[in-house]
Amino acid sequence: MDAAHIRNFSIIAHIDHGKTTLSDRLLHRTGTVATRDMEEQLLDAMDLEKERGITIKAHPVTMIYRARNGEDYELNLIDTPGHVDFAYEVSRSLSACEGALLIIDAAQGVEAQTVANVHLAMKQNLHIIPVINKIDLPHANIPQAKQQLEDIIAIPAEEAVLASAKEGIGIEDILEAIVQRVPAPKPTGEKSLQALIFDSYFDTYKGVVILVRVFNGELRPGMMVKLPHSGKTVEIKEVGSFKPKPYTREKLEVGETGYITANIKSPREVKVGDTILDSRNPAAELPGFQEIHPMVFSGIYPINTADYEALKQSMAKLQLNDSALTFQTESSAALGFGLRCGFLGLLHMEIVQERLRREFDMDIIATYPSVVYRVRMTDGVEKEVDNPAFLPDVTYIDTIFEPVVKAFVICPSENIGDLMGLISEKRGVINQTETIDSRRVMLTCRIPMNEILIDFHDRIKSITRGYGSMDYEPDGYEGSEMVKLDMLVNGEVMDAFSSLVHRSKAENRGRTLAAKLKDVIPKQQFQVAIQAAIGGKIIARETVSAMRKDVTAKCYGGDISRKRKLLEKQKEGKKRMKSMGSVDIPQEAFIEVLKTS
Amino acid sequence: MPPEPVRSLYIHVPFCAHKCEYCAFYSAPPGGDQVQRYVAALVRELEWISDDCRPDTVFFGGGTPSLLTLAQWETVLGAMHRLGLAGPAEWTVECNPATVSADKARLLRDAGVNRISMGVQSFDGALLERLGRIHTRDQVFRSFDILRQAGFSNVNIDLMFAIPGQTLDVWRSTIAEALRLGTEHLSCYEVIYEDDTPLYEQLKAGQFDVDEDLTCTMYDELVDRLADAGFRQYEIANFARSVPGESPDAIPSRACRHNVGYWRGRDSYGLGPSASEYVRGLRARNWANTTLYCEQLERGRRAKEFAEALSPLARAGELAAFGLRMNAGWPFAEFRERTGFDLKTGWAEEIRNLCARGWGEVTDTAFRLTRSGLRFADTAAALMLRPEAPASENARPSAGSRIPLKAA
Ligand SMILES: Nc1nc2c(ncn2[C@@H]2O[C@H](COP(=O)(O)OP(=O)(O)O)[C@@H](O)[C@H]2O)c(=O)[nH]1
Ligand code: SF4
Ligand SMILES: [Mg+2]
Repeated sequence: MDAAHIRNFSIIAHIDHGKTTLSDRLLHRTGTVATRDMEEQLLDAMDLEKERGITIKAHPVTMIYRARNGEDYELNLIDTPGHVDFAYEVSRSLSACEGALLIIDAAQGVEAQTVANVHLAMKQNLHIIPVINKIDLPHANIPQAKQQLEDIIAIPAEEAVLASAKEGIGIEDILEAIVQRVPAPKPTGEKSLQALIFDSYFDTYKGVVILVRVFNGELRPGMMVKLPHSGKTVEIKEVGSFKPKPYTREKLEVGETGYITANIKSPREVKVGDTILDSRNPAAELPGFQEIHPMVFSGIYPINTADYEALKQSMAKLQLNDSALTFQTESSAALGFGLRCGFLGLLHMEIVQERLRREFDMDIIATYPSVVYRVRMTDGVEKEVDNPAFLPDVTYIDTIFEPVVKAFVICPSENIGDLMGLISEKRGVINQTETIDSRRVMLTCRIPMNEILIDFHDRIKSITRGYGSMDYEPDGYEGSEMVKLDMLVNGEVMDAFSSLVHRSKAENRGRTLAAKLKDVIPKQQFQVAIQAAIGGKIIARETVSAMRKDVTAKCYGGDISRKRKLLEKQKEGKKRMKSMGSVDIPQEAFIEVLKTS
Repeated sequence: MPPEPVRSLYIHVPFCAHKCEYCAFYSAPPGGDQVQRYVAALVRELEWISDDCRPDTVFFGGGTPSLLTLAQWETVLGAMHRLGLAGPAEWTVECNPATVSADKARLLRDAGVNRISMGVQSFDGALLERLGRIHTRDQVFRSFDILRQAGFSNVNIDLMFAIPGQTLDVWRSTIAEALRLGTEHLSCYEVIYEDDTPLYEQLKAGQFDVDEDLTCTMYDELVDRLADAGFRQYEIANFARSVPGESPDAIPSRACRHNVGYWRGRDSYGLGPSASEYVRGLRARNWANTTLYCEQLERGRRAKEFAEALSPLARAGELAAFGLRMNAGWPFAEFRERTGFDLKTGWAEEIRNLCARGWGEVTDTAFRLTRSGLRFADTAAALMLRPEAPASENARPSAGSRIPLKAA
């Protein structure tokens, strides 16, 4: 198809505003899938995605639409993940597009994620088409949605298309708007092929399937192309697109999206953001996008230490289709061998853990998550630390910088007091308070990322009884008074519990952890001291008193073998315990505390 | 030449009128002709082992052996006499204070039974009820008189402490009443929360707490009061009234020889449902199911649920472990004679460890636990155990299959 008849777009929306439903409608209306093939929510392929209503991978779909002007257009919809944890993936999907549909639920209005996503789309210079969805709902408030569009997003209200994805209202209008308002792709004017890799996945039969957007030239089977990242030249085996199932095509031309395969066996050879070039006459590379930087780290350990290899393999399999996931071996005195894993955010972390449990049947425990700190040493050298256990000796530390985020919190007006309290408890600063409508306000604030890791979102939900929403984007680093909090058992540090905490919170957290540990560490034949320490200074202490006796029981003939087996079992159990400061601690104890802290 | 016959015999009587709240022994209320059937099966089992058994200790435990009727006892005792199993130096029958009668006591005494062990548990009416015991406090005194009148001069009672709701004062008066009763022997143990017992369920449900400190105090009180009253502790939970002139180092003459045999590693036959035995390196256990037990014997087989051959080292570890429950500990010579292993060198590290904790002491001739060590006898036992050697086999034959229990 000639570039003038191609449109590449994404759909961005706050969760549940109807992105998937609308996508399905578009596929249906353009005849891309027949009604009988319609399965609810076609694009969300993975079970977990369906269940959580989120999309993790980018799914490009090619549709042919005959417009009102009688001409056929190729519309490429590149679905995006709907959560800022995946902002990186959102922006790489967006970088393959010229426009975006911004969906706003007519009954809910603008939400935190709407704002965050619009920021991303604007950064990419995309043309935004606002769609006010769910106008069929009795409590839909179109004027209010329009007002918010102008006030918060700064888009003229008359540009909004009114629709009901569910009832099929306004679908034509949306398709027409795409054709008329989204700019057609233009060749870059370079001498030869330039195709941006915006995602990839692994297929057992075809090897790595590379998702591409052609910016210049064309892609055909048999062509020899170069992957600058690996420096390798490969022969293209297959070229195709999705509707949404993959189908082969003769070629992909300027402005088109689709996939190629080239018998690539290792996903590592393909780097998302890389530009595919002609091998004999390579053009310049496209700008690509930033390296993926995991923002949240956590150790993942098998509950049964024997499962370490299996865990590693499962993780490697997950990584095949999740290039944002990183991991490397680490070991903990308390938990044995495990993996230090990097995630894009908390949701990503949860999803990976859940997939390990569900799809790979792994019993795992995750250590307390940590953000990535920058540590400036006294000699001026800067280091990144994502595991508190490896924080350099404080005497050589000049300053610790912690990552901060810009968070958007939208809440009912009556909860503003409580939320301000929460934000300041989380060491956040509110920069702006805007009225969204008669009932809601939006707080824009700057908060240390480490504070929103655990329960920030949940607390917003509970304060606002579910009406509040929150989203964030990274906002640089800030010098901060972080201290390393260690938990000790009879003088020995339990690495799994070490964390970097702001000085103002260290004592409290130390006390809470010590009390929790006291509850789960079984009595020993001697007294056990549990301490919380900051840089060697003990700030909290609990004592597990010594066991004074075994049970005085009968033990006659018949009981001897029973008793022996019991004792042997206990002995076996002890072997599986972690001996710390000569205290035998069952792994369940660690797990119990890590789960709840 | 046939091997030396086995010198110890245990017989399990698997019936109780009512299940106690804490009890995990195999017993059930007798139903229909089940007791009759059991008696017949037991006689068959006695016949089965009789060639290989010349007991000098016999122990009828349960359950409630005293629940058998006079006629049933006559059958069992008759068989024992006929089979040459009667006349041991020590012959104990367990009795429930609610099921002792003068006739039965006479019958047993005349047949050669010379020791009675009565499950009293407490002298406090409320606690007896709490434990689900079927007898009253008064029945204890009455039964005791009956036994004495029948000529039993060696009587034990079982007592329990750390019962939920039991105060130190109540325990003190129970000890005092037990001493006043004047038995020759006392077995005193802590309430144990066994899986699948009502008491355990109540504990799990949080209906009461266990107070470790109080339990320790009660035990100390027990050990001291009994010593004051002229009893000698010879095992964690067992005390015998001392006899003038007996050596303070030897095991007391009124100790239960049958049980001492277990701790010292003597071979012993175990008959009746759920009974365990250890004979020439093979440990086996009967089905804990009276109907199945009877069926098997009616078909002419012993009713073994399982059997395992212990390697000599594993067995030695077991004996090292459980022998330490006795105050005398293990005389090195005796250990070597029993097991073929040298305790001092084979368990040197464990002995050092226990001594370092103040739990063990080595004398010229023996290794034993100290008073504080006896409080941690399970921990000590766990240390002394030796893992089963890989060569040994753990047989789990299908129900009723024959195991070579007798030498051919
Ligand atoms: N009434 C009504 N419900 C809609 C409409 N569009 C989507 N929904 C419903 O809103 C919910 C969330 O839709 P979904 O497409 O999964 O949202 P996503 O999270 O943005 O992908 C689903 O229950 C849809 O059925 C609409 O136009 N009208
Ligand atoms: S009488 Fe003894 S065996 Fe019977 S239920 Fe009570 S404790 Fe158990
Ligand atoms: Mg969706």
